[in-house]
Amino acid sequence: MLGFLKQIGDYAKDSFQAAKYIGQGLSVTFEHMGRRPVTVQYPYEKLIPSERFRGRIHFEFDKCIACEVCVRVCPINLPVVDWDFDKATKKKTLKHYSIDFGVCIFCGNCVEYCPTNCLSMTEEYELAAYDRHELNYDNVALGRLPYKVTQDAMVTPLRELAYLPKGVMDPHDLPANTRRAGKLPQEILEETATPGDP
Amino acid sequence: MNPGIDLQGSFIEILTDLGLPQGAAQALWLPFPMVLILIGATVSIFVTVWLERKISAAAQQRIGPEYVGPLGTLQAAADGIKLLFKEDITPAKADPILFTLGPAIVVIPVFLSYLIVPFGQHMVITDIGIGIFLWIALSSIAPIGLLMAGYSSNNKYSLLGGLRAAAQSISYEIPMALAVLAIVLMSNSLSTIDIVNQQSGYGILGWNIWRQPAGFLIFWIAALAECERLPFDLPEAEEELVAGYQTEYTGMKFGLFYVGSYVNLVLSALIVSILYLGGWEFPVSVTWIASLLRVSEDTAWLQVITAAIGIMMTLFKAYALVFTAILLRWTVPRVRIDQLLDFGWKFLLPVSLVNLLLTAALKLTFPVAFGG
Amino acid sequence: MTLAQGVQLVTLALLAAMMLGSALAVVLLDNIVYSAFLLGGVFISMAGMYILLNAGFVAAAQVLVYVGAVNVLILFGIMLVNKRQALQPIARAWLGQLVTGGVCAGLFALLTLSVVNTSWDISSDTPVGEGAIAEIGKHFFSDYLLPFELASVLLLIALIGAIVLARREFIPDVSPGEPESDTLQLPERPRELVSTADLRES
Repeated sequence: MLGFLKQIGDYAKDSFQAAKYIGQGLSVTFEHMGRRPVTVQYPYEKLIPSERFRGRIHFEFDKCIACEVCVRVCPINLPVVDWDFDKATKKKTLKHYSIDFGVCIFCGNCVEYCPTNCLSMTEEYELAAYDRHELNYDNVALGRLPYKVTQDAMVTPLRELAYLPKGVMDPHDLPANTRRAGKLPQEILEETATPGDP
Repeated sequence: MNPGIDLQGSFIEILTDLGLPQGAAQALWLPFPMVLILIGATVSIFVTVWLERKISAAAQQRIGPEYVGPLGTLQAAADGIKLLFKEDITPAKADPILFTLGPAIVVIPVFLSYLIVPFGQHMVITDIGIGIFLWIALSSIAPIGLLMAGYSSNNKYSLLGGLRAAAQSISYEIPMALAVLAIVLMSNSLSTIDIVNQQSGYGILGWNIWRQPAGFLIFWIAALAECERLPFDLPEAEEELVAGYQTEYTGMKFGLFYVGSYVNLVLSALIVSILYLGGWEFPVSVTWIASLLRVSEDTAWLQVITAAIGIMMTLFKAYALVFTAILLRWTVPRVRIDQLLDFGWKFLLPVSLVNLLLTAALKLTFPVAFGG
Repeated sequence: MTLAQGVQLVTLALLAAMMLGSALAVVLLDNIVYSAFLLGGVFISMAGMYILLNAGFVAAAQVLVYVGAVNVLILFGIMLVNKRQALQPIARAWLGQLVTGGVCAGLFALLTLSVVNTSWDISSDTPVGEGAIAEIGKHFFSDYLLPFELASVLLLIALIGAIVLARREFIPDVSPGEPESDTLQLPERPRELVSTADLRES
């Protein structure tokens, strides 16, 4: 009899605990309703990409020496380098260069290894197209520079969370030239630099 | 007891004054409240869909619909118009008759149940004696429509969804009926009007929620399960069943399911507010305030104000419950089918039986407080 | 004839047509799922008849019990065992059909007898209407107490039977002789069944 009563008591205790936890969960959900939405109203507002953002790759035709390092370091040998050997100058002349961004994983190896720095990352990420072949950029398309978010009159640029001043969570209506939290790299260098250094 | 306004009486009086015979005036009155409730129920869908989307957005720190109408209020209308214009597809190997009948059978009982929802002493379509029992009976028809839709789609997900929906609503109907029975035991009547009147007189203290806290929880949980709201939305669990019995439906047939589910949610909230939260009663007794201000109960303007407050209170309570349902949706994860059935049969059913027995015992011991 | 009477007459005709039509269809249709759904139609039209007879409570109970429970369970049964196969011709099917016809004719004769013997005079008592629920309750606990209790005992038996069926002993996958391997077993479900132990011991 007592065992049965104890069972019932335990069961009741469990049920009340479950109800308590659901109540706690509800209060958490309710508390979230008071917070400001984190939405970025995309076509009208855009986040400013960070400095090391790995977007669409930019390519400078004239700097390229057709060494094909980019092809070798690419995980899938993606860049297509089309060159001719010029016998007179004993140098390769580049004819065409293309990267298919439908296949590229934006790992940045080619940019890292390019000996002449003719490859670089841009902050462009809006690569949507109606046909996947449109994503195969040739050297002309690769040479175009993207439009900067901060210069677009149609777009309100918003800072990312890491670039906001200390304690600020909302990127809207920030006064211009407010500093981000923490020190800039050059400031840290200046502080740590000893007077004797050149 | 406050007689309230007799809309029917005054309407017929006006028409007979205009020279119409009594019968014609009555025949003119007949469809009027039904059309009014039908429109009200349809508008409530828009309100509920908007609330659901806005509150969900707020709970997830989003903005929600914003561009269609002020604050996105017309979003539901836009969605409805889109559904209207979509192609009505019947799958090639489906059963066209049952496929069309299914959504209708799901929706009709829900709308019929509005017959017994009172918004005031006389603001109810019919005050029939079986009252709340009619709602229980009607809500038991819906599983047939769900089974029909699930079976006729000729799709395994649909069939599973339909079977789950039917199993779920059969299982949760029993604790719900037992919770209602406890209320009926206290008010000695099945009529919704009598149930509310039994709670009136003491303001917020007289509401059934204080006398039936367990019943309130059981009923609300079972009502959520009947509406297939989120902790119990297994019949259309996206991750496993695509969309359950709605998988093959498009256009307005899908729209009917959508309408049915939201109207059912509002209806359940209304019924909870009637059974447990004092229906149209204001938290402070209006008659008491009137007597305090020395205004006669029969004063015309007081009655108009009482009626307006009544409608607003009923809707306010119902929408507060809808709000908790939406909040619960983003708090509690979906249960598994075995957990659902375990919970229904092994927890809610015994608890509601105990609740019923306790109510009966309390009624015999304290007939004053528990409706002797 | 007043408006109400006209409406009642038309409703009665409609309900009767619906009931007879769907009842015949239940019997005559080949598709068993259609038959099951149409059975719901029969029950609904019967509920409509009850409403016409001022018996709202009985009508609602009819909908709740027959449409909401019985019919749904029938549908469940059909849909869970949905085997589409044509009926095989049975040898000497005529014998069964003859017997069925005889039973049906007998039932029909019985019903006709009771129809003829019943006096169909309209009772002069005023219909109880809304008070019917209380009347039914009083009858249940006075002169109909025994049938009422018997029905509840029947339900109890059905309940216990369902529990017994649902708790049917687990049949092990391994045959008694070979050792039990636990490589393919789910870790969270311990085997605590008596029958397996018994089998291994014997």
